[in-house]
Amino acid sequence: MMWKEKYKIGVEHIDKQHEELFRRVSEFTKVIRSEEDWDARVDKVKETMIFMKDYVIDHFNEEEIYQEQINYPDIETHREAHAKFREGINNYVKIFEEEGFTEEKIQEFGGKLMAWLIMHVGNMDQKIGEYVRSKGGKV
Amino acid sequence: MKAEYVNSFYKATKEVFQLLVDIEPKRGELKLVEELKNSKDANVKLGVKGDLKGAILFSFPKDMTLELVKIMSGMEMDKIDKFTTSALGEVANIIGGNAFIFLSEHNLSCDITPPEIFIGEYNPSPWEKEKALLLPLTTPIGEFDITINLKENN
Repeated sequence: MMWKEKYKIGVEHIDKQHEELFRRVSEFTKVIRSEEDWDARVDKVKETMIFMKDYVIDHFNEEEIYQEQINYPDIETHREAHAKFREGINNYVKIFEEEGFTEEKIQEFGGKLMAWLIMHVGNMDQKIGEYVRSKGGKV
Repeated sequence: MKAEYVNSFYKATKEVFQLLVDIEPKRGELKLVEELKNSKDANVKLGVKGDLKGAILFSFPKDMTLELVKIMSGMEMDKIDKFTTSALGEVANIIGGNAFIFLSEHNLSCDITPPEIFIGEYNPSPWEKEKALLLPLTTPIGEFDITINLKENN
């Protein structure tokens, strides 16, 4: 999963976190798509799930604090999008707790996570950058 | 069925494809079809409820499905499996969600049901044997269809 320069919003600490999220999701995708035996890969999958859950929560919180600081007008819409993303991850965390880390469910989660992340960073988050630029980069 | 329904889906598809895979789909000639049916290899259905009711069917050939997910993931894809269909289902879901945001500007409020994925030809349920509009779309990685069956919920 490729990080693209066009995803940058021009706010350094947020851009760094986005790049890290892409790197982690990309690694996760490589692990779940590899031909190795599932049992040999499942620990890496569990580790990534724990990271994703914590990192996504921290990142979204930081992004929301930043939006408050700059009086971002669409903060409520963005909060709702974060809530939906978190809910999507938490639903799968629950499934994995209840049903175990089955390959089928992990593949399903991996496909969705990839689409969610590209859409969120490539679309929703770009609007923060546009707002900052509209204020001459000084907010 | 009103033109704005089709236009909203085209607009949403164009935006989502440009964002996810840097491709701009071109629309072909709209066709009236007898029912919600498609013979392409991977089909995603979204149910619609609210001010409009019905279903939307996204139909992709196998090679295009694999190429689409390859571009998104940066990894070779050689088979239609849970990962590729899940990604495809989510792409359709995002397009559907965005299309209904555009339709809300026409004072239409709708919800979509989670995407259902069908590998191989999609045959309609008895209640889907109604005329629908088929929008063919062309891209450099293949041709796909969106079939729209919506009516106002009075």
